[in-house]
Amino acid sequence: MEKEPSTPEIQTQQNTNLNNPISRKLNKILESRIENDKELLESLKTLSMFFPENSIRSRRNLRSDIEKRSLVLNEEFLGAFRNVKEQLDDISSIIGSMSECSDNMLTRLKQVKLQTNELISKTNKLQNEKKDIDNKLKIADKFIEKFQLQSDEVNFLTPKKDGSLHPEFFKVLEKVRTIHENCKILLRTNQQTAGLEIMEQMAINQEAAYERLYRWMQNECRLLCSDTVEISDFMSTALFTLTWRPILYKYILDEYCNSRRNAIVKLFIDALTKGGPSGNPRPIELNSHDPIRYMGDILAWIHQATASEHEFLRSLFRKFKNNLELESSIKSSLGVIMDGVCRALRVRIEQVLVSQQDTILYKISNLIKFYDFTIRQRIDESCELIQTLVEMYQLSYKMFLNSLNIHATRLLDKIEPPNFELLPNEEFRRTLTLIKDIFDSYNNSVVSVNTKKDDYVQILDCVIEPMLQMCSLSAVNLSAIDMAVYMINCIYSIHSMLSLYEYTDSKLEKLEAQIDAHLDTLCNEQAYFILSKTDLLDAFKIIQSHDKKVRGPLVNVLGMDSNTLKSAMSKFDIYLAAPDNLIVSQFNLLLGSSIRLKLKQKSVRLVSDAYKLIYDAITDPENGYSNSNSIVPRTPDQTLKLLS
Amino acid sequence: MSNSTNSGPYNYTYIFKYIIIGDMGVGKSCLLHQFTEKKFMADCPHTIGVEFGTRIIEVSGQKIKLQIWDTAGQERFRAVTRSYYRGAAGALMVYDITRRSTYNHLSSWLTDARSLTHPNTVIYLIGNKGDLEAQRDVSYEEAKQFADENGLLFLEASAKTGQNVEEAFLETAKKIYQNILDGSLDLNAAETGVQPKQPMPKPVSNEAKPSDSQCSC
Ligand SMILES: Nc1nc2c(ncn2[C@@H]2O[C@H](COP(=O)(O)OP(=O)(O)OP(=O)(O)O)[C@@H](O)[C@H]2O)c(=O)[nH]1
Ligand SMILES: [Mg+2]
Repeated sequence: MEKEPSTPEIQTQQNTNLNNPISRKLNKILESRIENDKELLESLKTLSMFFPENSIRSRRNLRSDIEKRSLVLNEEFLGAFRNVKEQLDDISSIIGSMSECSDNMLTRLKQVKLQTNELISKTNKLQNEKKDIDNKLKIADKFIEKFQLQSDEVNFLTPKKDGSLHPEFFKVLEKVRTIHENCKILLRTNQQTAGLEIMEQMAINQEAAYERLYRWMQNECRLLCSDTVEISDFMSTALFTLTWRPILYKYILDEYCNSRRNAIVKLFIDALTKGGPSGNPRPIELNSHDPIRYMGDILAWIHQATASEHEFLRSLFRKFKNNLELESSIKSSLGVIMDGVCRALRVRIEQVLVSQQDTILYKISNLIKFYDFTIRQRIDESCELIQTLVEMYQLSYKMFLNSLNIHATRLLDKIEPPNFELLPNEEFRRTLTLIKDIFDSYNNSVVSVNTKKDDYVQILDCVIEPMLQMCSLSAVNLSAIDMAVYMINCIYSIHSMLSLYEYTDSKLEKLEAQIDAHLDTLCNEQAYFILSKTDLLDAFKIIQSHDKKVRGPLVNVLGMDSNTLKSAMSKFDIYLAAPDNLIVSQFNLLLGSSIRLKLKQKSVRLVSDAYKLIYDAITDPENGYSNSNSIVPRTPDQTLKLLS
Repeated sequence: MSNSTNSGPYNYTYIFKYIIIGDMGVGKSCLLHQFTEKKFMADCPHTIGVEFGTRIIEVSGQKIKLQIWDTAGQERFRAVTRSYYRGAAGALMVYDITRRSTYNHLSSWLTDARSLTHPNTVIYLIGNKGDLEAQRDVSYEEAKQFADENGLLFLEASAKTGQNVEEAFLETAKKIYQNILDGSLDLNAAETGVQPKQPMPKPVSNEAKPSDSQCSC
């Protein structure tokens, strides 16, 4: 506590003390904390080891002791250090040799590195070469694959012992073909030799294979001779493949057609003569007494056979592309196949035709035409079957027209005057019935409208003219009225029959004109008849030719006096009351009420025209009739009204 | 390309010939078309003479090719169509259920069919246009009775909807096939309307000719 105020003094003391070495030393000693000085402690500890007792002597000897000790220690140190040095020397020499060694190695490494570089580049080169060679190998393999046949493939191309072909045949053949084709590419490269060689080899393979295929196919075709055939896929493919060899293809097609043609002929003859098993269905020829049925059955058989063969051909050609060319191939092959039946068919048709006439001939010709049309759709039109049908149609139609002509000439052979009924005669009516039959069969006919039209015209031309000619000839000795009535009756019969059928218009028109011409004759006759029966004919004739200027008034003409006229007019009046009483007797023989009506109307007009002429003359004051009204009490109009 | 047994529509064991008859307009051609093409032809022209269709069916595991002749119903073709009954194994006789007259003519058709075909020919009566129920003019029962009395198979069908069309053609074939199994149909002739296919030589053979093809060609 007392020290507190003295602190600055101490400091000043200290400051002064600093300048005094002793005090400094003292201070230092005082300040030093011995317990903290490790070095000192260590030294003291060590000292205590060899300084056991604090004696003078020992204090005197302390220094030398320490020096001795130091010497010992130094000597020890020297010894130890020598050791170290020796060892270091050892190490140094080892390191020296190591360095030498590594130097050595380094140079060797450098050398090796040099050598390895060479090796690597060599290896790389070799590796590249290997790659090249591998590629070449691959290419060669591919080449062989592409341009050569494997041994089993070669086997597939060779027929088995039994002549059959391997299922892979076509695949391999196609490959051969492709190789051959590809060789052409080879020839454009610098591989020409290989190309040529392979090409030749493949050509040989190919030809041999086609040849084998051809033989196989030929055999197959020869087996196709039963009623129906089944064409295997293999066979259709075979045919398609053969198209690469057009000649072989054609031969095979011929072979097929031949087989089928033979089969069809046999089947046809069987159907005609034998029929089915145990005679059912019955042979077609059993119906030969019924010509239409017989012909129909034969032609239907041919049609059905054509359809079946068409199907078989379709299946034969099923591996082909469906196009026009194929269509025509099928059609022409069908033509060849159906060729075979033509002779038998022709013979049978001709046999039937010779014993038939008229309508039957006509029906047969229609039937043939129908089948010509039907079968033609499937088959080549130039083939013999169609030719045969066309010819047979022409023949039957010609024979039909012939038989019509025979009728016509027969008509003209027996010309006899008509009987009192003024009707067409027997022969005429028979001919008419014949035409009717023919036309009826047309209505039932199976041919097209165009044919029908042409035929109608031809048939009518062939028969109608001779019929009319016959009528005229047989009527030559008749009176004009009889002749006209007879002619009208004949023409009318024809007309009314024809009017039932189509395509007869122009003919009907002609006939109508002819009827009208005869009708005019009859009208005149009728009008004359009435005028003469009513005693007006003379007056009419006089008036018609009277010329007032030359001969003066009519009243002065002989037979034209009022009285004569009055009595005639009263007769005319009676006629007017019952016009039907005054009809030419033959007119009742006229066929057809329409004709009679027409006749009546026309003749009425003529009569009323005549009356008008007379009326006008009598009422004409210049003609000098004073009492004209009492002579002709009725005006022409009134007369016409009464008459119609 | 292989010669395996299955070569699609060209492989069959028998050919059966059918004929379709009946008045004009009853739908004969439509039935055939429906059967072969599975389509209805709404405006089908009158058949001229005869037409022809085929289809392969299967009966009891046998492939059978049906060769079907569709005849014209128009009277004027009667003389022609009569020739096609010959050798038919099946006859489909069709009437139109909406037109009684077509039903009334059946007996005349049946007479033709009986006199012009094999006694074993299967005759199947089809009442067509079954879809036009509202216009029906012939009852099912009446036609069924007619069929029973005459020993005919009978179905009502529609060429328009296709209903029962397949059945009629197939059942006819089944019956024919039954007749073959019974032995009442002789197979060895083209003229029965049933033709066994030619014993097929496999795509092989020079020597391996089938023993039964002793053909003259
Ligand atoms: N609604 C209906 N119409 C039918 C059916 N079948 C046919 N038709 C129609 O009846 C008409 C005559 O059919 P077609 O098949 O031509 O008759 P078709 O019997 O062959 O006649 P033809 O050849 O003259 O003998 C056609 O207009 C058809 O559309 C049917 O099932 N239902
Ligand atoms: Mg039809």
